[in-house]
Amino acid sequence: MIEVRDLAKHFRVHRREPGLRAALRSLVRRDHHTARAVDQVSFTIPEGEVVGFLGPNGAGKTTTLKCLTGLLHPTTGTVRVLGHTPHHREPAFLRRVSLVMGQRNALFWDLPAADAFEVNRAIYGVAEAPYRSALDELVALLDLEPLLGKQVRVLSLGERMRCELAGALLHRPDVLFLDEPTLGLDVNGQAAVRAFLRDYNAQHGATILLTSHYMGDVTALARRVLVIDRGTLRFDGDLAALVEAHSPHRLVRVTLREAAPAHAWAGLGEVSTMDGAVVTLVVPRAETAAIAARLLTTLPVEDVAIEDPPVEDIIRAVFADA
Amino acid sequence: MRDLLTAYPPLVRSAALVAVTYRGRMILGVITGFFPLLTMAVWLTVVAEGGPPAGWTTGDFLSYYAAATLLWNLSGNHVVWRWDADMRSGDLSIRLLRPVHPFHQYATSDLGHRLVFLAMLVPTLTIAALLVPGLDYPADPVLLAAVAVALALAYALSLLMASTFALVGFWSTQTTNAWLLWWGLGSFASGWVAPLALMPDWLRTAAALLPFRTAMGFPVELLMGRLDPRQTVYGFAVGLGWLAVFALLYRITWRRGIRRYQAVAG
Amino acid sequence: MSGWTRHARILGICWRAAVASEVEYRFNFISNVALSMFWMLWAAAGASVYFRYTGAVAGWTNAEVLVVIGLFFALNGIRQMVLQPNLERMTDYVRLGTLDFLLIKPFDAQLLVSLRHLNVNTLLDPVLGLALTTTGIVLTGRGTSVAALASFAWMLACAVLLMYALTVAMMALAVKLVAAEELGQVSYAFVELSRFPVDLYRNPVQTILTIVPIAFLTTYPAAALLGRLDPYMLLLAPAVAACAGVLATLAWRRSLRSYAGASA
Repeated sequence: MIEVRDLAKHFRVHRREPGLRAALRSLVRRDHHTARAVDQVSFTIPEGEVVGFLGPNGAGKTTTLKCLTGLLHPTTGTVRVLGHTPHHREPAFLRRVSLVMGQRNALFWDLPAADAFEVNRAIYGVAEAPYRSALDELVALLDLEPLLGKQVRVLSLGERMRCELAGALLHRPDVLFLDEPTLGLDVNGQAAVRAFLRDYNAQHGATILLTSHYMGDVTALARRVLVIDRGTLRFDGDLAALVEAHSPHRLVRVTLREAAPAHAWAGLGEVSTMDGAVVTLVVPRAETAAIAARLLTTLPVEDVAIEDPPVEDIIRAVFADA
Repeated sequence: MRDLLTAYPPLVRSAALVAVTYRGRMILGVITGFFPLLTMAVWLTVVAEGGPPAGWTTGDFLSYYAAATLLWNLSGNHVVWRWDADMRSGDLSIRLLRPVHPFHQYATSDLGHRLVFLAMLVPTLTIAALLVPGLDYPADPVLLAAVAVALALAYALSLLMASTFALVGFWSTQTTNAWLLWWGLGSFASGWVAPLALMPDWLRTAAALLPFRTAMGFPVELLMGRLDPRQTVYGFAVGLGWLAVFALLYRITWRRGIRRYQAVAG
Repeated sequence: MSGWTRHARILGICWRAAVASEVEYRFNFISNVALSMFWMLWAAAGASVYFRYTGAVAGWTNAEVLVVIGLFFALNGIRQMVLQPNLERMTDYVRLGTLDFLLIKPFDAQLLVSLRHLNVNTLLDPVLGLALTTTGIVLTGRGTSVAALASFAWMLACAVLLMYALTVAMMALAVKLVAAEELGQVSYAFVELSRFPVDLYRNPVQTILTIVPIAFLTTYPAAALLGRLDPYMLLLAPAVAACAGVLATLAWRRSLRSYAGASA
C-alpha cells in the first residue's frame, strides 16, 4: 500500500546573518548548505491501517507527507503508494489519494459548500450515483446539513474543517493523508474530527497517515506510530511498545485507609505526590508487580492503580534522548 | 482527454457562479473594461480637428474601439496573477494534488469569468451598433462565423501565452513584471495602443508575423470587414502557428518547472 | 512635544521599518524601477502615434502632452507608494478586527491608517515621473520661469492633497464594503483618467472630468508649468482640494462611527 525505502530529501538553503551589512555581503557571496529534511527513512503501511506520525516542528513530517503525495521529488530512495510513484503525479494516482492540511483551504472559497463539493466532483470525475451516496454519508457523519448553503469563506474554523474533510473524501480515496487536521480547533471540534476519522476508517478500510501536535489525535486513532526527529525515524511500532521502550517507569497510585508515615514508603520507589492518603509512586517498570505486592502486605491499602506516564511526557523523553 | 471534456462544463459553470457572486467586482470589471474608449476619445478629437487620419473616420474609430473593448475583456491575461498568487502562497500544491492539470483549473476559472463579462458586453455592443450612427459592422453570416472562430483563437492564444509566462514563477518572483513587459511591448503590435493601420509601415509588417495581433487586432479588423479572404486566411494561419508554438513552449517549461518545484518547494 | 512633531516622528518610525524590511527584496526594487521607466517610455511612444497625424491635439503639442504624462506617473507613483498599500490593508483591518487596535492608539486614526505603510518599491516613481515632465519642458524649447515653477509647485501640492482625499474616501468606503481590492481599482481608474490633458477628450467627457475634478490632478499643474494657467485656478485649486479633504474626512469619521456601532 505505502512503501518507503531509504527516503531522503535534502534542500540547498541560503544562509544569511541578520543586519544590513550581512544583507549587502550576501549580494556578492552566498553561503549555501545542505539541509537534510528527511534522511534514510523506511517504513511500510499495509492497507487499512491508521498510523500516527509524530515529531516536533521541523522534524520532517510534512516533507515526508509531501514526498508521499508527489509534491516533492525524493533526493534518493523510493516511494510507492498504491503501486504508483507519487512524484510522477499520474491522474490515476491522484484520484485515489487525498491530502488534508489543517492550515490550507482546498475547497472553492467563494462558493457555498454544496457548490464547492460539486467542483470537486467535476475535478475528480466522480459519477452521479457514487457521488450522491458519498455526499449523503459525509453529510450525515459530519453533520453538514446546516452548512451546505453557506459560503466556505464565512464558515468558522471547525465548520470549515468538517467541510474540508468531506471535500477530501467525496472521491472515496484509498489513502488519506492528514497534516495537522485539528490545528486550531476547539475541544468539540477535535473530538468531532477524531470520531469521524475513526468511523470512516472502520467503514471503508481507508489507509490513514496523520501528523498532529495533539497527542489526543494520535492516541484516539492510531495504534501504530512513527516518530521522526531531525529527519530520521526514531521509532516505528505500537504506541504501547513506544511507551514501554521509552518510559522505564510506571506510576503506582495508592489509596490508603489511613495516612502512613513517610518512612513507611522507604524502598518502595520514589514518592512523586502525596495528597493525604493518596500517594503516587514512580517505580521501575520491571519491579512494578513486586512493589505492588509488597504494598498490599505492608500498608493498609484500599486501592492500587498502575498507570503509564502521559504520552506527551514519553515523546518528550524520546526527543530528549536523541 | 474525455475526462477533461466532462470536467470542463461544471468547472466553467462554478467559476461563472463565483463571478456573479461578487457584483461589485463585476461592475468594476465592466468599468475598467471600457478603458480602450479613452484612447478612442482622443482619436475622435484628432478627426474633428484635422480630418480623418489615414482615411479613418469617426465611424471607423467607433467600430474599432467598440470591438476592441470586447477583445480587451476576452483575454486570458488574468491567469498570470492567479498563478503568481498561488505560487507565492503555496496554494499551487493544492492544485497539484488534483487529478486535473493546473493549466485547466486556471483556464476553466478564467473562462467562467470571461463568459459572464461577454454575457453583459455582447448585448451592450449589439444595441450600441444598432443605435450609434457610424458604429457599423457588415452583417454577413459567413463573416460573423469567421469572427467567432477568430475570437476563440484570440482567447486561446492569449490564455496560452499568459499561462506560459506564469510558469516563470517556478524560477523567479518576477512573473507579473515579465508578463507586463511582454504585454507592453506587444500592445504596439496588437492594435491596443492604436489601430495597426495608423502605425508606421515597419511596425505593421512586424505585427503581421508576431503573435499579438491574433489576440486583438485580427478579430477586430475581420469584424469590420477590412480583411480580404487572403488576409483572413493568413491571419488564421499566423494565429494557429503561434498557438502551436506556445503549446510546445508551455509543455517544455512545465516539465522543467514542475521538476524544480518538486525538488525545492512542494 | 507638539502634536505635529509627534505624529511625524511616529510615521517616521513606521516608514523606516518599511524600508528596512524591503532591503531583502532589492531585486524587486530594481525591477520595479526598470518597469516604471518602461511604462513611461511606453506611454510616451503610445501618445506619439496621435502626433503622426497632427501637430497638436486640442492645442497640446507632443512635448506638452509628455509634461502631463510625467505628472501622471509622478502622482500615480505617490498613490502606489503611500496610499495603495494602506488601502489594501483596510479590508484586513476590518475583517480581523485590527481596526479596533488602531483606533485605541493615542494617535490620529485617519493619519495612522492612511499613511502607516509604505511600498518602498515605488520610491523612485515620483522622481522618474518628474524627470519625464522635465524632458517634456525641454522639448517644448520654451523653458519655464520662476513664476511658472512656483505656481506649478502650488498646483502640484493641491493635486497631492486631492489624491489623498480621494484615497481617504475610498478607505471610508472600505470600512463599509470590505472590498479594498475593488476600491483600489476605483482610485486607480480615477488617476488613470488624468493620463492625458482633459482637453484631449471632447465634451461632455471633458466637462465631467473638470468637475469630478480629474483636471486638477495633472492638467492644471502642467498648464501652470507651461505658463498658461488661468490665474484664478491658483485659488480654485486649493479650494477644491480643501473641500475634497473635508468631505473625505467627514466620510471617514462617519464610517468609523458606523463601524463602532456595528462591532460593539
